Amino acid sequence: MTQRIQSIVIVGGGTAGWLTAGIIAARHQGRMRAGFSVTLVESPTVPIIGVGEGTWPTLRSTLHKMGVSETDFFRHCNAAFKQGAKFARWTTGADDDAYYHPLMLPQGFTQLNLAPHWLTGQSGRSFCDTVCPQGQLCDDGLAPKLITTPEYQAVANYSYHLDAGKFASFLTQHCVAKLGVRHVLADVTRVNQSPQGDIVSLDTQQAGQIPGDLFVDCSGFSALLLGKTLGVPFRDCSDVLFCDRALALQVPYATPDAPIASHTISTAQANGWIWDIGLPTRRGTGHVYSSRHTTDDEAHDTLMRYLGPQHAGLTPRKITFRAGHRATFWKNNCVAVGIAAGFLEPLESSAIVLVELSAKLIAEQLPANREVMDIVATRFNDVTHYRWGRIIDFLKLHYALSRRTDSAFWTDNVDPATMSDRLKNLMHLWKYQSPWFFDEFDRLEEVFPAASYQYVLYGMGFRTEVQPEDNAGTAQLASRLINENLVATRQLRSQLPTNRKLLKGIEEHGLQPI
Amino acid sequence: MSNVVLLDSVAHRKLRVHAQAGARFGDNQRFVGVVVSEFPMLALHYPILFSKDAETGKFYCGAMLGFDAGENLFLEDQAAQAAYRPLNLQRGPFATAGSDLAVDLDHPRVAAAGDQELFTPAGEPSKHLQAIMGVMRELQPGLERTRIFIDTLLGLKLIEPIAISARFDDGSKRELAGLYTIGQDELQGLSDAVALDLFRRGYLQLIYLMRNSLHHLSLLVQRKNRTFLPMQPSPVAGSP
Repeated sequence: MTQRIQSIVIVGGGTAGWLTAGIIAARHQGRMRAGFSVTLVESPTVPIIGVGEGTWPTLRSTLHKMGVSETDFFRHCNAAFKQGAKFARWTTGADDDAYYHPLMLPQGFTQLNLAPHWLTGQSGRSFCDTVCPQGQLCDDGLAPKLITTPEYQAVANYSYHLDAGKFASFLTQHCVAKLGVRHVLADVTRVNQSPQGDIVSLDTQQAGQIPGDLFVDCSGFSALLLGKTLGVPFRDCSDVLFCDRALALQVPYATPDAPIASHTISTAQANGWIWDIGLPTRRGTGHVYSSRHTTDDEAHDTLMRYLGPQHAGLTPRKITFRAGHRATFWKNNCVAVGIAAGFLEPLESSAIVLVELSAKLIAEQLPANREVMDIVATRFNDVTHYRWGRIIDFLKLHYALSRRTDSAFWTDNVDPATMSDRLKNLMHLWKYQSPWFFDEFDRLEEVFPAASYQYVLYGMGFRTEVQPEDNAGTAQLASRLINENLVATRQLRSQLPTNRKLLKGIEEHGLQPI
Repeated sequence: MSNVVLLDSVAHRKLRVHAQAGARFGDNQRFVGVVVSEFPMLALHYPILFSKDAETGKFYCGAMLGFDAGENLFLEDQAAQAAYRPLNLQRGPFATAGSDLAVDLDHPRVAAAGDQELFTPAGEPSKHLQAIMGVMRELQPGLERTRIFIDTLLGLKLIEPIAISARFDDGSKRELAGLYTIGQDELQGLSDAVALDLFRRGYLQLIYLMRNSLHHLSLLVQRKNRTFLPMQPSPVAGSP
């Protein structure tokens, strides 16, 4: 007897739960009439974590596929454009120490790797400004598109900054009204398992028993199903990524028409770093730090010093976390997505993109029956392990390249014993060749493509040794591409409206669907 | 710059305007906003397309008069009344402000040497001003009707981008972006009920007027090509 997978039950009503519900429901819309169902069980008493405010451009296609209007999304989620991240004081800690990790690929990236040409060049321009316009668009406070650009289309690649609390309730509305997701407000009191360990049903306090074929654990830090019920252990990685605390604080703009940064600003501190994210009505800020290197009080002072005396009266919210992830992500008929699967410091906004990729993988590979589920589970675990490993390495790279010596936090971070062998090998290899295609991270859905490694490496002053004769054959193409980038940069800087102006335009007039 | 004030029969008693078509009066526009009631006349001469307002991003309908900025290839025909002159060109320096008429005193049409008076010596609206008021009576509700027409098409996903590329006799090329039309395939795919509804509302006729007006694109290329020809000597009376 093969048991068909017809009923998906998601536990948890935060960003992870609703994105997963929406992605699965949209992908399997056609089966809804044939008995397929997606049920989301949300506790009416447990608040969502809701600090994730940075996303990747994948969210554009995710929302589009879910049938969300981008105009509605902007209006209801207090969303703004994000064109990348600016990392200040990460390399030397000096006042003028800053670089961009933009979302646009380097000019002609699929034809030619410009990094070796920039490395031998004498232009004096940063790598980012040599190969892409986006750093300068961010400097100018410009939006990545025009009011006439259709929804989800970009002039310069973009993702969003958003209010995670509003995002979850916006997705709730959409998933229930448009995609037929069943929303159950109830507290889970007991998880019922078969003798083989599969989850059969959930007992709830308010809504009785909820049976299901596949259970998705989006219950956040508690990992109710995968952790507590199925006993999958947590794999700590705080020996690599030291930060384990955050103080989050929302601050108002000085004036209602103050410029809105169209990039995340990440400023390194003595024992961690501070995020600064511009939404239309407020800034979201926070200090991520290592409790092994500093105290909560010191971290509080650091954050308040960054924000300035005008915000002295505000009280930040403290979040405690452990960097790491579950030892496995899909066990029996249960798969974890979001914080239930793991949590890392929000340095490169990897949380929501990982939710999207995981949910998409579940939706696309949804096992037809219980018999083949373990095959899909193995595949899911392989890919997800690979992704967590790559994200941890990529975050660590930001610390590993630093030359700061002003605190034990920074000197401990460059200790090779705190880096994976894989990262150490890559950093060794990159001394002689720059990351591009044919590197090892060229899977179909890579969280961070080779271009991201280039922006961080060369933004932080890493040098790859280049043999000039290697460049000879492509010198002409390279100088043409670099010139094209200069022209494109000039053009975009004169065409694009400010971020504030476009966000106001979207509020008033909306964007067109085509 | 503009200096828009409400029209006042006392303050503006002696105001005169130029009424005829002409580049120096601001008629040198390559794309002019139009309303649906004009479609039957427009479709005789011009491609009717959609574009987006640069300030709001909203779709509007327009007649294409040329390829380059400031190029109206129909100026002479419009002046000679050999081609229909869109209401937005006819209204000259005037606009509506609520139910009142406003005039832009800095508009090049407003001039002491203008060929039309606005008021009779007795202070009554002149023939020309009455004609302008007629234009406004068509234009103002027309904009609302056009908006509803566009929203209906958008809701049915019938609007699609059109890439216009033209090659001219002088060897130059133009690629025009930001223009839209009605998709033929999407139109064919409408259900009977929707098609009937569009027909009853008079939209099906508007849709086909727009679709058919695309034939004028190639004629517009020819019209521009004629501007590259050397001037023909004008025929002299009495010559064989």
